[in-house]
Amino acid sequence: MSGRLTDADGRERVEFTFEGDAVSAYAGDTIAMALWAAQAAALRRSSSAGEPRGVLCNMGVCYECLVTVDGHNVRSCMTVVRAGMVVERGGRQ
Amino acid sequence: MSDLVIDADVGVVGAGPGGMAAATRLAAAGLSVAVLDEAPRAGGQIYRQPPVGASASVGIPEPPSHDQGHALIHEFERARLLSVHGATVWDARPGRLWFEHEGRSRLLRCERIVLSPGAYDRCIPFPGWTLPGVVTAGALQVMVRGFGVVPGQRALVAGSGPLLLPTVTALLGAGVEVVAALEASSRWRALRAAPGVIGNAARRREAVWYMKQLWRHGARLQWGWTVFACEGDGRVQRAIIGKVDADGRPRRGTARTIEVDVVGAGFGLVPSIELGLRLGARSRYRPERGGYCLVVDEEQRTAEPTVFAAGEICGVGGAEVAAAEGAVCASAILGELDGRAAAPEVLRAARAERRAADTMLRAFAPLPGLNELARPDTLVCRCEDVTRKQAQQAAEVHGDSMRAIKMGCRAGMGPCQARICGPSLQAMATGQNARVMDRPVVQVPLKAVRADTIRNAPEAC
Amino acid sequence: MSETADIVVIGGGVIGSSVVYHLAKLLDPSARIVLCERGPVAGATSGACMGHLMVTPDTAQDYALTKTSVELWARMNEEVGGFDYNPTGALYLAETDEDQEMFAVLHKQFADNGDRADVLDNKQLREIEPGLAADVPGALYYPGDGVVLPMLACGAMLRGARKLNPNVVVRPHCAVTGFEREGDRVVGVVTEHGVIATDTVINACGVWAPDLSERLGEKRLPIYPRAGNLAITGHHVSPIRTQLLEISYLRFAHAASEIDPTSVDSDKGGHAVNMQPQRNGGCLIGSTRQFCGMDKEINRELLQRSLLRAERYAPGVAAAPIVRTWVGLRPYSIDNHPLIGPWDPVDGFYIAAGHEGLGISMAPITGLLIAQQIAGVETEIDVTPYLPSRFVA
Repeated sequence: MSGRLTDADGRERVEFTFEGDAVSAYAGDTIAMALWAAQAAALRRSSSAGEPRGVLCNMGVCYECLVTVDGHNVRSCMTVVRAGMVVERGGRQ
Repeated sequence: MSDLVIDADVGVVGAGPGGMAAATRLAAAGLSVAVLDEAPRAGGQIYRQPPVGASASVGIPEPPSHDQGHALIHEFERARLLSVHGATVWDARPGRLWFEHEGRSRLLRCERIVLSPGAYDRCIPFPGWTLPGVVTAGALQVMVRGFGVVPGQRALVAGSGPLLLPTVTALLGAGVEVVAALEASSRWRALRAAPGVIGNAARRREAVWYMKQLWRHGARLQWGWTVFACEGDGRVQRAIIGKVDADGRPRRGTARTIEVDVVGAGFGLVPSIELGLRLGARSRYRPERGGYCLVVDEEQRTAEPTVFAAGEICGVGGAEVAAAEGAVCASAILGELDGRAAAPEVLRAARAERRAADTMLRAFAPLPGLNELARPDTLVCRCEDVTRKQAQQAAEVHGDSMRAIKMGCRAGMGPCQARICGPSLQAMATGQNARVMDRPVVQVPLKAVRADTIRNAPEAC
Repeated sequence: MSETADIVVIGGGVIGSSVVYHLAKLLDPSARIVLCERGPVAGATSGACMGHLMVTPDTAQDYALTKTSVELWARMNEEVGGFDYNPTGALYLAETDEDQEMFAVLHKQFADNGDRADVLDNKQLREIEPGLAADVPGALYYPGDGVVLPMLACGAMLRGARKLNPNVVVRPHCAVTGFEREGDRVVGVVTEHGVIATDTVINACGVWAPDLSERLGEKRLPIYPRAGNLAITGHHVSPIRTQLLEISYLRFAHAASEIDPTSVDSDKGGHAVNMQPQRNGGCLIGSTRQFCGMDKEINRELLQRSLLRAERYAPGVAAAPIVRTWVGLRPYSIDNHPLIGPWDPVDGFYIAAGHEGLGISMAPITGLLIAQQIAGVETEIDVTPYLPSRFVA
């Protein structure tokens, strides 16, 4: 079970949605980290087999954490959350 | 002129210890410096800072070396320079760096370039390594130290090299139960690292600190062990671990299963050399430094005389090496402008750090037998979903070069551009575990960028 | 090392692989067929191109060649498969109402060959391709075209050949450095790994075919590299589902060049949109054409123009991540027709090269025609227009 080191982190809360579900993050979180803390590890379906994939490198190298944000394909580990962001799983639909 | 084009005397790529050390010194000497960094804040991966406003990393004990990190960041953030964060450099030529920034296509024009883009975790494929919850060792550190995220309740850390310790201590500090911490090298082999640690005061202090941390939590490293496989329904729930022989070959009879909800696997680091190659630098294969590294002269100058390189791009060595080499880059550039050589004491310091790092890391050079962890149906290329067997079939007909394997099964042709599968792909496909890999081929864009970034690229002149 | 072969095929691209496959199908399985490729199989032009299977209807002769070949691809897909064959058809797009007049011409050409294509208005077009710009007035849909992934097709054909004939040998990373001749006959192929004694050699080296002919002691074949800059997006972002070409592509790409290919400095280059959906949801974006020698550095300005045009038709391209760009070299023959058949001055020496941008489309028929000529059986179609002897005089 993942979570937060401390809930009194000092940062403001930011709300967005992932696959239609509301997610509460902290300002400055990347999408990948906000989703990880919210127990959502599967971020993408793999290219041909459609298997679930999630964070691998967490530093913008592997492209395993691709998601769709407002219709655009981005690395969730390099994209900071914004209030009201609509995030969908990346990869094979 | 629009802010899409920036002019500077020196362009620095990467705001980790190498880039910060170089940029701070150059700016202090009065040069105009522009730094391009992909992360939101300065620090690099090793000294990664939490998001602005967060106090997340407070409470996680830091090793003594992080004092250097705080000092570097402190100076860097007060220096008179331009630091552009969230910048993805996608093409370059001497004096020109094209980058994407906040969805816009920008260009940095400069007289000289200092490259310090760092390194990333070396992955070795094993069954189940694609399951969500199985991440690199570096990813776990970013999670805990960078974002204050607790990765899970029960963790396995496996791999090889000095970065396992910070990963384990970060997890312990975050209250995660580290079920097992596995170093593939044998204790005997690791002893060869000792001279590099004992002979260097900072590394000695660091080692003692880590030992104390492990001891305090009752944790220990298991030498000569690794992860054989991960299993789970939709995410990792179990790991199969076991002993390896001196070459890293799994001893299947020793396998046992542990319950975990997160796995960090890191088998050393791979230098990010693509930008250097694009700029005309030469590279050399040095297994103890993580594979192909840029070749530089003693003033950290590459084969392209206007391009300098510091830190992991010249071979994995750690933050102390990067900072020392960054200082050399600055000294060499300032020297060129004044018509003199770089300061000898700066060169000496960098050489000493590099020597210590080489001695230490030789003990953790990739063990060839670990390539036998992957089964025929194990994915080797995660981008294109290519199994080891498909890669073998490709090599058999198309040839055993890197390009041949790519063409035969499209491994390495996806978005990561072979950064993840590349270091072991030829060994996987040919069964020659100790094979020296072909030199990576760089193609533009160096990292994926929007089509309109390429289309709108500002002209070079 | 002393080695003998009944046939040596030089060049492991799509043409050489198809030649090997069709030889294996046609000849007795005792025939020893060796393929020598100096780099990886599919490592050059066939690994750097689009996989458009294109039927060109402008003359009955071209139509017969391309149509037969595209149909052979469908058959090979059943026989061997494994190369992402996708009979998507092709949409020829108009940009303006005037462009639409070209539809009538193309439509008639297909009809004259007993084939059909459908004219679509804006509404019908957007039903098929909702990702297209709203103002694209219409398209001509030709259902007979398709897509393959050429690099995988090379491997698939060679594996298929080995299944049919265990004496097929594939030798990547084995460069041919010269030939052995006895008078007007070729008697051996000299490779970097030894000599192969043989009396039948096929030069399927694409843009390098002239070099090989020179090594044989013959004049250079009139084949010239014509560079194309390509870009590919990441997976699952393709704004299109069908293969798209602007109608002007036909004239631009597959008509004889108005520029002298032998003068590499004079060609500023051109481009016309060709976009191709991939099986993994990526989108391949082409294509440019420029005679600039063997230079494989990206021509950024041409690439930018090409991307801009792609965006004009499919605005979703703008935000799509580009993963890779590269240059491929098309083998343009001076009269814009491939060379398929014996090189008369030297007994036993055949040429299969010079297909420009239609090498993938024409690979099966080229392989079949060469195999039939070597086997001495009647050819599938009249091969006369493609015989290399037209350049002997």
